Amino acid sequence: MERAVLTLPHMARYVPAAVLAGVAVVQIVLAATLHLSPWKGGGFGMFSTLDHGAFRGVDVVVEAPGRSEQLEIAASLQSEAARAVALPVDWLLRDLAAGIAERERRHERPVSRVTLSVWCAEFDRTTLRGSERPMRTFIYDVPHEHAAR
Amino acid sequence: MNGASWRARLAWPSTLTEPVTSGAPDVTAGVQEREAGSPADNPHFDTALRLTAIALLLRPMGPWFVRPVILAAAVLVLIFPKALRQWQVWGALAVLTGIRIVHDWPLADNHIYLLGYWLLAVSLALRSRDAASTLADASRALIGLAFAFAVLWKVALSPDFIDGRFFRVTLVTDPRFAAAARMIGGLSDEQLRVAREAVALLPHGAELLDPPELFEPARLRLFATASTWGVLVLETMVAALMLLRSRLPDALRHVALLSFCGVTYAFAPVAGFGWLLLVMGLSQVEARQVWLARLYQLTFLVVLFYDEVPWAELLLKFVQQG
Repeated sequence: MERAVLTLPHMARYVPAAVLAGVAVVQIVLAATLHLSPWKGGGFGMFSTLDHGAFRGVDVVVEAPGRSEQLEIAASLQSEAARAVALPVDWLLRDLAAGIAERERRHERPVSRVTLSVWCAEFDRTTLRGSERPMRTFIYDVPHEHAAR
Repeated sequence: MNGASWRARLAWPSTLTEPVTSGAPDVTAGVQEREAGSPADNPHFDTALRLTAIALLLRPMGPWFVRPVILAAAVLVLIFPKALRQWQVWGALAVLTGIRIVHDWPLADNHIYLLGYWLLAVSLALRSRDAASTLADASRALIGLAFAFAVLWKVALSPDFIDGRFFRVTLVTDPRFAAAARMIGGLSDEQLRVAREAVALLPHGAELLDPPELFEPARLRLFATASTWGVLVLETMVAALMLLRSRLPDALRHVALLSFCGVTYAFAPVAGFGWLLLVMGLSQVEARQVWLARLYQLTFLVVLFYDEVPWAELLLKFVQQG
């Protein structure tokens, strides 16, 4: 009697493609639910949309008693910022905010709260005028002992 | 037609399943497959692997604990023919590429993912009895799916590709496309500067009292439209020809892929992606298709020159001086 089985040679042919398809589907889900950049994550959405790193950004506001200041992202935190902008989820935003608070502390500047506002660009269909569309706001309250130092 | 070319023409097996009969296995079957699909029968197989190693050397990647190992492995496979056919070496490269992706997730570009799948495919193929045809099938499936997802994004998931906004904005804002916008789109330096101002981002809800108007010459609009639909048609063709079995000649599949690489990477600043696609296309070339293999190798070099020579700027200067 004959029976059909998935043979090893066939697996060798199609396992890489199956992995590709699996990762790409996950990327599409993450892009739809968590604002993962379509250009990132292995879903092959590059060159398909203006929603990419050059047209996403994060605004940083640092607060402390007597202080409320908008900051630029320091060069040492560009990598964390790029990650948080490409996928603005809590743990990546927290990493960035903690890095900013730590840097402020090193420079002996008071900080009790870091507010991150992630935005992406939108372009008018006709005039192509661009504007920033807010995507997420994340507030990081600096732990007390951290802030006090 | 000999056995080798007959097998190579069967780009997709007729089914994912094979009948298994009870009793002793046919010991001659493996020998026949080994003879029919072994890398020794297809010199392009080794060339594809060598070019993969060269592409790895041309684009060093990853953090410090990954990069030197990848570079060393690439050098080894180029120097030692035995290492070139060692599945463990390619498997290790696949793992290292995976580590590189995880290390700075989600920032890796898509071709790094494709590179990882390709290295895995090479490793698995070298373990199989018919490495050349296994790798050719894996390559077709990988390119076909990658392009299918690219088309899906452009057609259904992205809000600003089909209506032309992507290329209209990219041509004037991305400095890497500036020479093309000037040469093909007909923009002067001043017009390009004003166009950039016109599409500059404003904070949410803000409006300028006297916003600059975007000047788009007809040539630029035509270039953006042609790019939008040209890319879409080419990518759809590649995906369909790679994934679907058809009675069309195999050469069409190669023509579509070579056309895509020859045109796209003249402008798109991702030579690494182009090299990878060309290497994967080369792995699908039959032993007797020497001219086709040469064409892939030549296009590999052309993409190298696209990447290293500012050809558009030079051409623009030449035209302006002329």
